[in-house]
Amino acid sequence: MKKFVNDPANFVPEFMKGVVLANPDLLEAVPEFQMIKRKDRPVADKVSIVQGSGSGHEPAHVMAVGPGMLDGACQGPVFAAPPVDACYETIKALASDAGVLVLVNNYQGDRMAWDMACEMAEAEGIKVKQFIINDDVAVKDSLYTVGRRGVAGNFFVIKACGAAAEAGKSLDEVYAVAEKVNNNVRTMGVALTSCTPPAKGTPIFEIGEDEMEVGVGIHGEPGRQRAKITSADQITETLFEAVQTDLPFQSGDRVALMINGLGGTPPAELYVLYAKAHELAEGKGLTVARNYVGEYCTSLEMAGASLTMLKLDSELEEMLAAPAEIATRVF
Amino acid sequence: MAEISQAKIEKAIDLTADTAIRNEHYFCDLDGLAGDGDFGNSLATGFKVIKAELPQIDGEIGAKLLKISMLCSKHVGGSSGPIWGTGFMKAAMVSKGKTEVTLPELTEMVGAAVDGIMARGGAKLGDKTLLDALIPVHEKMKEMAGSEDLGAVLAACAQVADNAIDETRTLVAHRGRASQVGDRSANTPDPGIVAIATILHDWCREFGVEHAPKAPELNRATA
Repeated sequence: MKKFVNDPANFVPEFMKGVVLANPDLLEAVPEFQMIKRKDRPVADKVSIVQGSGSGHEPAHVMAVGPGMLDGACQGPVFAAPPVDACYETIKALASDAGVLVLVNNYQGDRMAWDMACEMAEAEGIKVKQFIINDDVAVKDSLYTVGRRGVAGNFFVIKACGAAAEAGKSLDEVYAVAEKVNNNVRTMGVALTSCTPPAKGTPIFEIGEDEMEVGVGIHGEPGRQRAKITSADQITETLFEAVQTDLPFQSGDRVALMINGLGGTPPAELYVLYAKAHELAEGKGLTVARNYVGEYCTSLEMAGASLTMLKLDSELEEMLAAPAEIATRVF
Repeated sequence: MAEISQAKIEKAIDLTADTAIRNEHYFCDLDGLAGDGDFGNSLATGFKVIKAELPQIDGEIGAKLLKISMLCSKHVGGSSGPIWGTGFMKAAMVSKGKTEVTLPELTEMVGAAVDGIMARGGAKLGDKTLLDALIPVHEKMKEMAGSEDLGAVLAACAQVADNAIDETRTLVAHRGRASQVGDRSANTPDPGIVAIATILHDWCREFGVEHAPKAPELNRATA
């Protein structure tokens, strides 16, 4: 795999430098802790929303910093949780009187790092709560994680919590929003190829030219099954079925529907999947009130996609519609 | 009573760093088989810093281990940072103020590390983590805590960890996820278990204790 890399050891700091240089009005970097934060945060009476996880999932996590979204985030190496120290410093840098909400995707490393960091911050008198996101329906009881993984549904949690925090809600209220989104969001992914982490230099798993991994994790974790690749419509049906039946989403529900690319699939292919997913949702009597197609939580250059659905109520719908801005610009 | 000097403990940590750095890519490959492929890189990144800073760290055994724990928190990412950081921190707490330790004291340090790691990550024996090597090693140390022959204890511990690689190799299949995971995780050893076994083997080699590696992964890591 050919990549634009200098020294793999500097890959993360170099891309973070680029993100900040490309968004000079909005963001600042704290390179020592691989942290990016909003220049104008923290603000004393506003809850700060922070996150931090492995790199390689961009625009998650440091590129999800901006108004109405995260106030700050720190990155670990590619696919590895950030060091405890970076998590702790991120909480400290965003500490406000209103408190800090840490949104943690459900992976062992992330959970342990943020657990330790939150304990350290609390010991210093910082008001902090953490919420664990786990939207991946592929995992029932994984050996590699502490239950269901947190994947693209993370973006809906960030978006809703970001809006709630901007609206001046308290730490407990913003936490309740995170809980509501997480309880109502489900995701399932599929991979057509592996990805190659820069430091590893070789693909993370092997997959045949005619095969797909259904239920893949965003680090290439094994999914529900390895199968022969089928048509886009059939693949969408598999993903939709897994997601729809899990909550379950029922006729009359208003939903947000997302097709998320895993980094190596062209937008046109994502829209092919979206067209079918939208049709399937309507066929089940669901109203697609908000739609999202693009890259939200990727896995380097993995060809593949995930389907996420969030059941809405009026509060969540309002929060998804609130203005927000992140480093991935829309013209 | 056999005494273990601070110099020996420092040498053991330095050797541990060498093991982690030398096996960076191999441990990543093992992790890539069933995990997310970052283990070797996380460990090597931290131990490069630990190796470089070790000679400058002041203080007795407990103080040194505490500083190493903090370096893990700062420089080791992934699951390994909190796990190794917690292990060193708990060992530091029971060796505070000591410039040498007895075998029962060293056993207590390892026991404290094991308890801390279990509390931090929630894993237990049989979950196919490095605890599947550390717990039996700790048991063996308790069993031999009265021994005067430190070399024999080290060799026995190395053998227990070596055995753990084979004993846990097929554990995934036993837990009913084989149908979902396929052959990628069946018959793959846990990289943390291989790392512990490799470290103990490297200690044997450098301290002049006889131990012939048995598990193929250990053979490869020590070759």
